[in-house]
Amino acid sequence: MARYLIKRVLIMILTLFMIALLTFCLMHVVPGSPFTSQKQVSQAVLDALNAKYNLDDPLWKQFVDYMIGVLHFDFGPSYKYTGKTVNDFIEGGMPYSGTLGLITLVFVLLMSIPMGIVAALRNGKWQDMLLMFLATLGVTIPSFVIATGLLYIFSFKLGWTPVYGVDSWKGYILPMIAMGGYSISFLARLMRSSLLEVMGQDYIRTARAKGISEVRIIWKHALRNALIPVITVLGPTIANLLTGSFVIEKIFAIPGLGGYFVNSVTQRDYTTIMGMTIFYATVLIAMIFIVDIFYCLIDPRIKYE
Amino acid sequence: MTEENKWERVSGSTEEAERIYRKSRSFLGDVWFRFRHKPTALLGFILVVILLVFCLAGPAFTPYSYSEQNNKLASIPPLLTVYPGPEEGSYLYITQGLKLIEVDEDGNLIRQLKKKKDDNTNKQTSFTWDDDTLVYLDYSRLPNTVLDADGNRIETGLKKWNNTYRLGTDQLGRDILTRLMYGTRISLMVAFIAALVNMVIGIAYGGISGYLGGRTDTIMMRIVDIISTIPLTLYVILIKMCLDDGLLSIIIALSSVYWVDMARVVRGEMLSLKNQEFVLAARTIGSSTKTILLNHLIPNAMGPILVTVTMLIPSAIFMEAFMSFIGIGIAPPMASLGTMCNDATETLRTNPYQLFLPALVICIIMFAFNFVGDGLRDALDPKLKK
Amino acid sequence: MEHILEVKDLQTSFLTSSGEVKAVRGVSFFVNKGESVGIVGESGSGKSVTSLSVMQLLVGTGKIIGGSVKLNGRELVGLSPKEMRSVRGKEVAMIFQDPMTSLNPLIPVGEQVGEMLWSHDKSLSKAQREERVIDLFRMVRIPEPETRLKSFPHEFSGGMRQRVMIAMALACKPDLLIADEPTTALDVSIQDQILKLMRSIQKEMGMSIMFITHDLGVVAELCSRVLVMYGGLIMEEANIYDVFENPLHPYTMGLIASIPDINQDKSKKLQPIIGSPPDMIHPPEGCPFAPRCPYTCRICLHQLPPVFSAGEGHKSRCWLLAEDAPSSGNPLKGRKGAKE
Repeated sequence: MARYLIKRVLIMILTLFMIALLTFCLMHVVPGSPFTSQKQVSQAVLDALNAKYNLDDPLWKQFVDYMIGVLHFDFGPSYKYTGKTVNDFIEGGMPYSGTLGLITLVFVLLMSIPMGIVAALRNGKWQDMLLMFLATLGVTIPSFVIATGLLYIFSFKLGWTPVYGVDSWKGYILPMIAMGGYSISFLARLMRSSLLEVMGQDYIRTARAKGISEVRIIWKHALRNALIPVITVLGPTIANLLTGSFVIEKIFAIPGLGGYFVNSVTQRDYTTIMGMTIFYATVLIAMIFIVDIFYCLIDPRIKYE
Repeated sequence: MTEENKWERVSGSTEEAERIYRKSRSFLGDVWFRFRHKPTALLGFILVVILLVFCLAGPAFTPYSYSEQNNKLASIPPLLTVYPGPEEGSYLYITQGLKLIEVDEDGNLIRQLKKKKDDNTNKQTSFTWDDDTLVYLDYSRLPNTVLDADGNRIETGLKKWNNTYRLGTDQLGRDILTRLMYGTRISLMVAFIAALVNMVIGIAYGGISGYLGGRTDTIMMRIVDIISTIPLTLYVILIKMCLDDGLLSIIIALSSVYWVDMARVVRGEMLSLKNQEFVLAARTIGSSTKTILLNHLIPNAMGPILVTVTMLIPSAIFMEAFMSFIGIGIAPPMASLGTMCNDATETLRTNPYQLFLPALVICIIMFAFNFVGDGLRDALDPKLKK
Repeated sequence: MEHILEVKDLQTSFLTSSGEVKAVRGVSFFVNKGESVGIVGESGSGKSVTSLSVMQLLVGTGKIIGGSVKLNGRELVGLSPKEMRSVRGKEVAMIFQDPMTSLNPLIPVGEQVGEMLWSHDKSLSKAQREERVIDLFRMVRIPEPETRLKSFPHEFSGGMRQRVMIAMALACKPDLLIADEPTTALDVSIQDQILKLMRSIQKEMGMSIMFITHDLGVVAELCSRVLVMYGGLIMEEANIYDVFENPLHPYTMGLIASIPDINQDKSKKLQPIIGSPPDMIHPPEGCPFAPRCPYTCRICLHQLPPVFSAGEGHKSRCWLLAEDAPSSGNPLKGRKGAKE
C-alpha cells in the first residue's frame, strides 16, 4: 500500500508542476498572451511586476522565481489592481467558498447516495422512475439555469431567501442546491447502476444461499462493493463543484473565490488568473489524494498492486 | 397424425433441428430497432430535428433580423397585460419606461403614444391618443394603470399575446424569437465544430496510443490522466485568455481540451479490438498500419465513438454558455444562447422571460442530445439485448 | 431409505417481457439420505433452474408456478421468506460454478464462512465461530487454516476458493448439498481433487449431494444415480451403471456416444448430437428432443411421451418404450417398459 501511495504522491507533484508550467507558458509565451503583447498595462503594475519578478530576466528564471514564490504560497501582485496581491483575493474569498463548498459536498453526499439506493432497490417501480426523472433533469439542465430559476422563484417571487449575499444562513440554501444539482443527479445515477450491478453478482447469490436477511445482504455485502465506483468518482465531483462555484457565486453575489476568479477573468487580471488557477489545482489534487487514500483503505485488492 | 401413422418414421430434418427461433436482424437494423423503441431516444431524435429546422430554416420566416433594434419597443414580453383604450378594440400597454403603446385586438403593437404632460404631484402622465383625446397613465401606486373616461384607475388588465414579437423583445428592442434562432444556430455550430475537432484529435491520439501499446501507450495515457485531473473548464478559460474575442477563439478553446474523453474511449476500443482475429488476418495479408487503423479498427469502434461524440455536444453547449456567463463568450452583436442568458441576468427580476427563453432552448438542446446519446449507448450495447 | 428431497411435478418459469420462458416443465425426482444424484444436461435444459428452485434462489422474473418440493418431509414451496431463510444453509446448502465471483471480494474468507454459522446459530461467540471455521478449513484441506482466516478471495487460487465455498456450505452440517457445476471452471487436475474431496466428505458426514453438470465423466466419478434433463424435463433416470451400460433414451445414447474415447480409432469422427436446444418460450408440443432425435416418429412430434418405467428405478420418457412401439429400427426394442 505504501508503494501505491508514494506513486500517487509523485503523480500529484508532477501534475501540479505541469499545470504551473502550462499556465506560465500560456501567459508568457503564446503569441497574444498578456505578458508578450501590447496589452494596456499601467506603469504601476509594471513596476510591481518588475519588483517581484524582474521582467527582463530570461523566461526560465522568471518561471523559477514564480515557482519559488508559489511554494511559499505567494502568488505575486495583482495585474489590475495596484497595491493588491493575488493572496489578498485568495484569503478574502476562501472563507465563503470554503463554507459553501463544504456544505454543498455534504449535501450532495447525503442526497445522492440514499437516492441511488432507493432507486436501485425499487428498480422499475415508481420510486425508481421518479428519482431517475429528477436525476435526468439535474444532469441536463445547466447549473446557471437552475440557479437563476431558483433565484427568481424563491427570492424574487416568494421572498423566502435573500436576493444576494450570504449574510444569513438562508443565503446558502439556493446556491447549495444549484451547485449540487448536477453532482447529486450524477452520483445518484451512478449509485443506482452500481448497486444494481452488485445485486446481480454471484456473491450476493451466495449470501442469499446462506440464509441471511435481505437487509443484511444489502448493508454488509452489497453497499460496500457498490460504493467503490462512487468513491472513485468523488475526485472529479469535487472538481465539478469547484468550477460550478464560478457561476453560482456570480449569480448569488457571494464574495468567494469563484467571484474573484470570474472578476479577474473579465478584468483580464492575468496574474490573479494564474495564481488562482494554480491554487485551485492544488486544492483539487489534495482532495483527490485524500479520496485515493480512502479508497485504498476500503478495497483490499488495491493493497497488493 | 392418426392412429395409423403415428409410428411413421420422420427423418430428423436438419433444418428443424438447426432452426434458430428468433428473428435475426442485421447489426444496423438491430441498433435502429432498439433505438427507436426507446421512447426517450426517439423523443431526443425528434427534438434534434426540430431544433435543426428551427435554427436553419426559421430565420427565413421571421420579418426581423437579429440585430435590428427598436428602442421604443424594448423589453416587451410575449404575454402583455393591457388596459382598454379610448376606442373600441384598442388597448394600451404600459412599458417599463412608463410609456404607453397602442395594442390592437389581435395583440399587434401599433405605435408608441407621444407624451403630452407629466404631472408629478398626482403622479400622472398624459399621452396624446389623437388630436382630440388624451390618455392618462397613473403611477401613484403599483400596479401602474391607465385611467378610464371618468378618471378612475382601471385596476384589472387583460392578457394578450404579443402578436408583433411572438416571444417579446430584449432590452434593445430586438425580436427575441429571431435572436433565438440565430443564437441556436451559433451555439449548435460552435458545439458541432468543437465536437468534431475533438473527435478527430481524440481518435488520432487514442487510436495511435491504443494501437502502438506498450511504453508509448503508457506515456500517452499518463499525459491524458494528468491533463484530466484538473477540470477542463480551467484550461478552456486559460486558453481563451490568450486569444482575442470572437467565434473562432471560442471554437479553438473548446476544441483543445475535450478530446481527452474521446482519446480514452478510442484507446480502450483499440486495446480490445487489436487482439481480435480479423486484425491478425489483415496483418497476415500485409496491410499497412494505416490501412488497418482506417479500414478495420476505427469502423469497428464507431459505436462508442458515436456515443461519445453525441455526448460531447451538450458539453460544448454547456461550456460555451458557461463562458458567456462569466463574460468571456462571443462578442456582440453576434449572440449565442449563452450570451443572451448572460445579458438578461441583470434584469431577471423585471424581465424574467429574457433569460428563461434562451435558457429553455439550451435545456432542450441538452435534453435532446443527452437522450440521443443515452439511446445510442443502450442500442449499441450487446449485453442489453432482450 | 427415506427421501431427503422429494420433488413432484416442479414447474418454474421466467415471466419476461418477451414471453414466459418455461425453464422447468414438470420435473419429479427424489434424493435419498446419503446418496449422490447427478443431474446432467446441456445449457438451457433446466438443470440449474431446478436446483435454484429447490433453494428458492430464483431472482428477477423467475417463479415457481407449480409443483411441490419437500425437504425432510417439509413442503418448501409456499414458505414465507423468513422461514425459507432458516432452511437455506442449515438444511440445504449450495455451491456454485465460479468460485471467483461467488465470494465477496471485500470481506475476508474467514468472516464469510463464519457468517454462515452466525446466520443459523447466534449463540456462538466470535471465538467459537473462528474455531469452527478453522476446523472446516482443515476438513476441506486448506493449508495453514489459522492464518488463512484473514485472507481475501483474490489471494487464493481457483481450487482453494472452491474449497472455501465447500467449507461455507458445510458449516451448518446440511442434510443436502446442491453443487451446481462446481468443477466446470477449474483445471482438470484440480477438478479431480475437488471431486475426491467431496466424496470423502460425503462419506464422513453422511450427506446427500445433488450434483449438476454437463459432464458425464464427472458424474461417473461421484454419483450413484443420474437424471438426464432436456428441454425442461427429465428424459431418463437410472443408476450410474444402467445409464452407461443400458441407456434407454436416444438423448442419453447420443451423450454417451459423443464422449471422446482416448482409445478410439483416430480415423473415426467425433459424434456430436446435431442441432440446437429448443426455444423455451414456445416449447414444442411433443417430445422436446424430437427435432434432433435419429429415431423420431410422427407421434414424437405431436405428443409428449409419458414416463415409462423399466424396472429398478430406471425410467425414461420415450415413445420407443411404448407397448405398441414398432420393433424394426427401434434401439430400445426388447427393453420395453411399462408406462408409469
